[in-house]
Amino acid sequence: MTGARPRVDGPAKVTGAARYAAEWRAADLRHAALVTSPVPAATITAVDTSAAERVPGVVAVFTHHNAPRLRPPVGAPYGGRLPLQDNRVHYEGEPVAVVVAERLEQAREAVGLVRLDYAPLSAETDFRAVADTAVPTPPARWGPADTTVGDLAAGIAEADVVLRAEYSTAARHHSPIETSATQAEWRDGVLTLRDATQGVFNVHAVVSSALDLPADRVRVLAEYTGGGFGSKGYVWPHQVIAAMLARELGGALRLVLTRAQSFTSHGYQPPTRQRLVLAATAEGRFTAIRHDSLSPTSTYGEYVEMTANGSRVAYACPAITTTHRVAPVATVLPTPMRAPHEGPGMFALEVAVDEVACELGIDPLELRLRNHAEVDPTSGKPFSTKGLLACYAEGARRFGWADRPRATGSLREGDQLIGWGMATAVMATMRFPAAARARLHADGRVVVEAGCQEIGTGTYTIMPQLAAEVLGCPPEQVVLRLGDTALPRTGMTAGSSTTLSVGSAVTAAAEALAARLALLATGDPTAAVRLDGIELTVKNGAVEVFRLDELFARLGVDSVAAGGSWEPRENQRSMHTFGAVFAEVAVDVDLPVPRVRRLVAVYSAGRIVNPLTARGQMTGGLVWGIGQALLEKSTTDHRLGRFVDKNLAGYRLPVNADVPDLDVAFVEEYDPHASGIGARGIGELGSVGVAPAIANAVHHATGKRVRSLPIALEDLL
Amino acid sequence: MIPAPFDYTRPTTVEDAVTALRAGGAGAKVIAGGQSLVRMLQRRLVRPTLLVDVGCLSRMREVVEEPDHLVIGATTTQHELLHDARVRAHAPLLSLVARHVGDPAVRHRGTLGGSVAHADPAGDPPAAVLALDGEIIVEGPRGERVIPSAEFFVGPFRTALEPDELLVGVRVPKMGEGWTVHYEKFRLSAQKPTLLGVAVMVRRVGDCFTDAHIALANSGSTPVRATAVEVALVGADVTEEAVTKAADLLDGTMEPFARQGVSQAYLAHLARVLTRRAVVAALSW
Ligand SMILES: Cc1cc2nc3c(=O)[nH]c(=O)nc-3n(C[C@H](O)[C@H](O)[C@H](O)COP(=O)(O)OP(=O)(O)OC[C@H]3O[C@@H](n4cnc5c(N)ncnc54)[C@H](O)[C@@H]3O)c2cc1C
Repeated sequence: MTGARPRVDGPAKVTGAARYAAEWRAADLRHAALVTSPVPAATITAVDTSAAERVPGVVAVFTHHNAPRLRPPVGAPYGGRLPLQDNRVHYEGEPVAVVVAERLEQAREAVGLVRLDYAPLSAETDFRAVADTAVPTPPARWGPADTTVGDLAAGIAEADVVLRAEYSTAARHHSPIETSATQAEWRDGVLTLRDATQGVFNVHAVVSSALDLPADRVRVLAEYTGGGFGSKGYVWPHQVIAAMLARELGGALRLVLTRAQSFTSHGYQPPTRQRLVLAATAEGRFTAIRHDSLSPTSTYGEYVEMTANGSRVAYACPAITTTHRVAPVATVLPTPMRAPHEGPGMFALEVAVDEVACELGIDPLELRLRNHAEVDPTSGKPFSTKGLLACYAEGARRFGWADRPRATGSLREGDQLIGWGMATAVMATMRFPAAARARLHADGRVVVEAGCQEIGTGTYTIMPQLAAEVLGCPPEQVVLRLGDTALPRTGMTAGSSTTLSVGSAVTAAAEALAARLALLATGDPTAAVRLDGIELTVKNGAVEVFRLDELFARLGVDSVAAGGSWEPRENQRSMHTFGAVFAEVAVDVDLPVPRVRRLVAVYSAGRIVNPLTARGQMTGGLVWGIGQALLEKSTTDHRLGRFVDKNLAGYRLPVNADVPDLDVAFVEEYDPHASGIGARGIGELGSVGVAPAIANAVHHATGKRVRSLPIALEDLL
Repeated sequence: MIPAPFDYTRPTTVEDAVTALRAGGAGAKVIAGGQSLVRMLQRRLVRPTLLVDVGCLSRMREVVEEPDHLVIGATTTQHELLHDARVRAHAPLLSLVARHVGDPAVRHRGTLGGSVAHADPAGDPPAAVLALDGEIIVEGPRGERVIPSAEFFVGPFRTALEPDELLVGVRVPKMGEGWTVHYEKFRLSAQKPTLLGVAVMVRRVGDCFTDAHIALANSGSTPVRATAVEVALVGADVTEEAVTKAADLLDGTMEPFARQGVSQAYLAHLARVLTRRAVVAALSW
């Protein structure tokens, strides 16, 4: 049942048996390859595809001259412009032509022969140069752009210490191992897409509306998705292109983005500029917090990095003001990336808290304890469940925080300065409606169906655990089918919401199945049932044992099914996950490259359904946070208006040898408000709070305060 | 990621290998461990028409002990350098530097001859060979010749080898009395190539340095000797102050092949610090 269960999809993935979007065969499969714009803004003035068309095997070359017409997509977030509809370019990397050929090599060869003339338009890619004052309109579930509670000026006036500082974080790219890919088939008026996506229903909505196809003529499948981290959440032009050209040409068509294209085709985490005001009394009580965030959006659409969201809830404070502004630049639309919003935002807030702690001479952990928020300070609502105090205590104990010397630069080992830092992690819990179906076969197999995705987080493993818990059977008896718009509808696998949302629906479906079985066996749906192999034990006063084959034969069915669903309800609670992250770094005295020596992180995230997969998520998040702190940065050449390093050699990521001992623990918890199974979202929480803990540790080691990410050598010289 | 088409041959004698190289002309290329070459083939940075695999030439795999020298066959792997008793005893700098090459999988395939012939300015073994005043033994249609390492490395990925010549071995002096060695390497993160490497051999008698060989990796278009530091160390007292003073003579005009986004000032500083540390570490070897 629930508990530590290793990943059931592990062997299939390790042996290659797991099939990803671009690995499906079809006798008539053709290959598409994209021609993308080398300039960030332009009008296309001339098109010559004749040389490309002459390449043997080339079936067709599409540009805005001959591409099928599309309608504006509705029903799900779409991050691009409609591809090949006009002669305008809005970002470097925008698809401007597509070659379809019998073989991939032919398509690639022809891509190089498509001639397009561009009349460049002026383009700004530096968001700091085009700060916008208009208030953006973020999706409602992310909260309003601006919030204010209390009297900020009064809070500042009564403070003994007022910190005013500017923080910044770098642009980053998701770059999952599986580059985005879509295989589209048009047969008998039905479009089937196998897609590397975090949301089959999103793809369905965008593709069916853009192509003006009835919903029942489109089916989207994603049995496995090779990592997403947000890049496969929104729908992007390449998916629409694959669908549109499959319908145009008939048969099967495969479009796989190159690694370089994955840096321009499906968003990125925008860089941020954050201005903080943090005011406190000499006793260490916060009296005012102001957090103003600026981040880029594209010139053709809006994305708001809700950087100040964490500051709205993190600490008890009578006056909190937050604002978000966006600046339109000539890039593809930014998009959520693990962890969006609080990921970059808590860096600024938590370094600011450390700065105030230093100024006041109060231990940074103690300062956080003094400002612990019992209720959400912005909404005034109680938290659904909050175990942050326990996280602080357990984290400090595991780390040995009590032995931390106050003075900076006071821990030294040979040539290495050692520093200890910590930070709070906060992340909003996202939830979505979900449905599921559970079917029991006469041979004892339980098949659970839900149209969610497996993006590497463990969905195949834990949904059966949840169903098995209800039915009383071993989880091995349950299999999950997912990633198919023909299955019961769920939201996308994003925002750390799948386990709590789909898990609640799966539990409801299993409960409905149990009730059905009880009813069919004994006439009383409330009787307790327990399944073991093909034996069904029903307890209704007396205990009766049925053999499934006999029971089903008697009923004249080969299986029994039931559906369940779950929907988030407004319940006047503020829902967040929390954590405390402690970091030890070593900084060479002469060559001040910071290296992380250990991380301890303790989380309050509701019920942990499977400690193994949960730990996997958190350790992955911590590694992600090390990358954010020390390595990851997408540099833009503002003169050319393009990202510079479009590969994993130039874009630096941590590898095993960069990652130290990681100690992860969870506070024992059950959240009765956030979901039907006691859980809140955990997946992205692990990458929050890591960078500020590291930056604060660097300050403790060296006395150097770093306010921008990633931490650069120059910051410490 | 797919190499251009090529032919492949695996001769069993050095003579046959040289013949094959000559017959293959400009399109022929030696492959040893393939740890650098295969990556270049994949990206089509090189498009040889014939690969001559030297993996089966037993003569090139031997380590031969001479009275005052060690001749290390070109296809001796980095792993073997690390573990061979004679290399460890007589040329410990090569064992030390081998530890810094890639990871175990790379070291099991990559060869000393390959590293030297590849002549990556950021390669670690070339700097050690230069510090050792090693000689490069070459076999070609015109017979054998011996090239001093100071003349072997002529530019980034360029050496004194002719296209039809085979690097058969590296000859290094056995380490004598009073010498100690160290290799200090620095990289920005685990997956980054060497930002700077310092190979050091020093000899002390009593409280005084009597000799010093220092070579830097990724400090120019070839590995380079830090002559000024060497001169300053000889005759100097064995003290940290004297070492620091000598290391500070590195003038900071180095032009690394792979700069990795780091400023010139930092590189100069890095070279001084690493050189000081490498000498100090050699002293406690
Ligand atoms: C993951 C990874 C990490 C690495 N890390 C490091 C590192 O930290 N430090 C470092 O120094 N190197 C590193 N390398 C580079 C690599 O290990 C060496 O360059 C390599 O071992 C060269 O030897 P080889 O036998 O593999 O040569 P090959 O790749 O087979 O050949 C390299 C070149 O040398 C020529 N050549 C080889 N042998 C001969 C010969 N006998 N005669 C004439 N020409 C010859 C070839 O024609 C080719 O041009 C790394 C490589 C990888 C893949």
